Formats: sequence, C-alpha cells, structure tokens
Amino acid sequence: MFLTRSEYDRGVNTFSPEGRLFQVEYAIEAIKLGSTAIGIATSEGVILAVEKRITSPLMEPTTVEKIVEVDKHIGCAVSGLMADSRTMIDRARVECQNHWFIYNEKMTVESAAQAVSNLAIQFGDSDDDGSAMSRPFGVAILFAGIDEKGPQLFHMDPSGTFVQFDAKAIGSGSEGAQQSLQEVYHKSMTLKEATTSALTILKQVMEEKLNETNIEVMTMTPGAFFHMFSKAELQKIVENLPNAREEAPKPRSDSGATPSIKPAAISSG
Amino acid sequence: MAMLNEYSGRNLPDYEFEAVKKVHFSPYADNGGSVIALAGDDFCIIAGDTRLSSGFSIYTREQQKLFPLSNTTVLGCSGCWCDTLTLTRILSARMQMYKHEHHKEMSTPAAAQMLSTMLYYKRFFPYYVSNMLAGLDENGKGCVYSYDPIGHCERSNYRAGGSAGALLQPLLDNQVGYKNQEGVDPTPLSQERALSIIKDVFISAAERDIYTGDGISIKIITKDGVKNESFSLRKD
Repeated sequence: MFLTRSEYDRGVNTFSPEGRLFQVEYAIEAIKLGSTAIGIATSEGVILAVEKRITSPLMEPTTVEKIVEVDKHIGCAVSGLMADSRTMIDRARVECQNHWFIYNEKMTVESAAQAVSNLAIQFGDSDDDGSAMSRPFGVAILFAGIDEKGPQLFHMDPSGTFVQFDAKAIGSGSEGAQQSLQEVYHKSMTLKEATTSALTILKQVMEEKLNETNIEVMTMTPGAFFHMFSKAELQKIVENLPNAREEAPKPRSDSGATPSIKPAAISSG
Repeated sequence: MAMLNEYSGRNLPDYEFEAVKKVHFSPYADNGGSVIALAGDDFCIIAGDTRLSSGFSIYTREQQKLFPLSNTTVLGCSGCWCDTLTLTRILSARMQMYKHEHHKEMSTPAAAQMLSTMLYYKRFFPYYVSNMLAGLDENGKGCVYSYDPIGHCERSNYRAGGSAGALLQPLLDNQVGYKNQEGVDPTPLSQERALSIIKDVFISAAERDIYTGDGISIKIITKDGVKNESFSLRKD
C-alpha cells in the first residue's frame, strides 16, 4: 500500500519511512512561535530573562507567568503553549518534593530535567483509563538551578531531549539571540554582566519595546537561590541598558569571535 | 445432627453451633543479635555479633549482620532475620537505582532518610528489624543513624541496638558519652579507643545475653573505604 507523507503526520508514534516522527518535529516548530526566553549560566549563578507578549492594553501583565519556581534551588523559564507548560512544571515540582521527602536532599538540576523528560515522552501512551496523551507537549523549558555541581542551565525540547548549556535562547527570537549569546558569552562572566547581556539581546530580538512590564527576570544564586526581579529592580536595569544598535555587548578580545556579526531582529508571531 | 436428635429426649435446634476458634498468625521470629556503631570525626565503626538464634537454639555462630551499601555506608540489622534479608535486598536495589538515575553515589544521610521512609511505608505490617546505619556524611564526618521498626530515625555519635541494646547502651553512655562522670574532660574518640570499647562492651553483653555471642564482625569506615575486622566472643 502506498502511503503519502500526510498519513505519517497523524500518528504521534508512527515513524515515516525516512525514520522521522513528524508530530514531534512540528511540536519543535511550535516553540519557534513562542515568546523568547534567554538563560545564561555563570560561575556566580544563573540568570533567566523572558519576554511577555502583552497583546492588549486591557491585559493584566502580572498574570502572564513565564518564569516559575520549581523548588528553592530550581527555576524554570518556558516558551510555547503555556497550558502545556503548567503540567510539566507541576511534574517538576512534585518530583523535587518527592526527592526531598525520600532522600532529605535537594534534587539535582539534571535529575529534575530527567523527571520532566519522562513526562514529555509519554505522548501516545495510554494510561490505566485507556486514554492517551494525544500529542507531544508544545513547550521548551530552560531549567536554571544550583546543586552540588554549582550553577547549571539545562534546555529541554518537546521531544524530551535535554542538554546542558552555558547560555541558551528559546522561542521566536532564539536564532538571533543564540548567535548573540555565542558572541557575548565567556567563562568568567559575572552575573551582572550576564544580566545586562541577556536583556540587551532580549531587547534586540523583541518586537515590542522592552520595558519593566513586558519582561520577567530571575536570578539563581548560591546565596539567595530563586530571586524574581521586582518591577522596581527591572526598571533600574532597563534604564541602564546600553542602546541596542550602537552599543551591543562587545565580545572580549580573547574570545576570538568576530564582532561584525550583528543579530538581525527576528520577526515572527 | 439427625443422630443427636434421636439420641436425646430434648429438642435440639437443627443446626450446628460454630465453636469459638482462635486463629494464630505469627509472622515474626526473633533471631536476636546486637549491633553497635560509634562515630568519630573522620571515621565510623560498626560492629555486630555473629550469632543467629531462635529460643534456646543456635542456628549458626557465623552470621554476618552488617551490610555494606556503598563505600561510605554500612547497615547493621538485628531482629527477624527473614525481614532483614528482604529489607537489605530492597535497600541495595534502591541504592543501585539511585546511582543510575542520579549519576552519583547515595550519601549516608540520604540513605538514612530513604530507610526511614521505607520502614514507615510498612507502618501497619512492619519489618521487625532493629536498624543501625553507619557511615560518613557529605563532610566526611562519621555519623550513626538508629531506627525503630516503623521508621523513627535519630542521628547520634554512638548507639547500641538489638537484643543486648539495653545492656550495651548505658556502658556506651558512660565510656563514649562521658555521662555520669565527674571531673572528666571529654576527649575526641580515637579509632583505637573506639575499637577497644566495642570489644569490651560486647564481651560484657555476651556474659548476660544468650542471644549475643560467638563473635563479632567489625567494619571500620574511613574515606579510604571499609576495613573488616573480627573478634571472638564466648560460644555458650
């Protein structure tokens, strides 16, 4: 029987003859419609910065929550379908508490990512009721946390694959932002430098003008752990940001990256 | 029934009376045994006798009651031997699973908490085991965790448990904890002193407790690993 490509599109657990899972690939595409989120891990701590799309002036911006606390020592930034992300964050929180309950110790960031990954790949599986999760989660997550290995950043995509990063961008502006991160990042970055860099890059890739209401910033440090920036704190940082075009964060002379590559503003929905 | 009715002149009811039956179910055995653990600044020593008995009979004189769970953690068990076997096998399996899931060895405090939850999950049909967990904590300091059969857990520096627990503990309180002594200056426990105290108190316990004797096996836990020693006790 001859099967057209569209037929392999439907089953979430059916490989195409080329060995691809289209629904999973489409879910990864779906992330690229989401709002941009940036994470940078430094030796002093991890910083997460996200844009919030305020689609109406009548909308209450504080109810758009894209950075959440999973445990005292783990925070997450999400991009994609927010409703899906709630389920995954909930799992991460449960797993962290369960680990604390059984072992009386903090769950490592990697283990938390692994736990959420186990949920992410359950699409197509049917549970005891016979019902199945019909599609993969349309969410990418940045896990920022501190454990015995120090500050760490992990990225997970809808396929459940998770990888550790020094700096990572997800969402609609991710391509340009990732490029900029590569130029800007260096191992001896301070948390303050990382915060400025993250926001400068975010400013470049955001469609709207960046201000203290349409972003969220969180730092994860060994001293204070999860710290969400207040509106006043954000305002102070936004005011002191270098102007995007002329003063984009310059790479260090020893980093070897070519400063000529300026990220183009990414346009997307 | 028919016979009964014919035999007696009385009118007996035409059904059988169910006699009151007593049902006995004793799933537990007490196989005795004693365990001691002492913690120092950079070591931990755990010792258990090697007698396995039931009532007035001895099953064996050479039963190990200490179970190494990792390079820095050893569990000592006494009580119902069959429960000990099951508990320790589950524990080793859980240690192995943790290692694979989290890519690291479980620390002694983490193993201590896990044992507590495992025991409490059998709150209403407990493992009849007196547990003693000895090892080094994350800072390399010696630690001892003792349990009741349903998961109550307490960290201390010295503890005795099992059939001669009540005989051994006061002696440890005095010799290791310097309790009820006047004008002593508490010196930190050295490995040599810990070892000789353990041998002395076991010799005393074997004199009084019939469930403790034959010999003791000793495990000395340091950052370099676990070292084994043994020592003979009276065999009657």
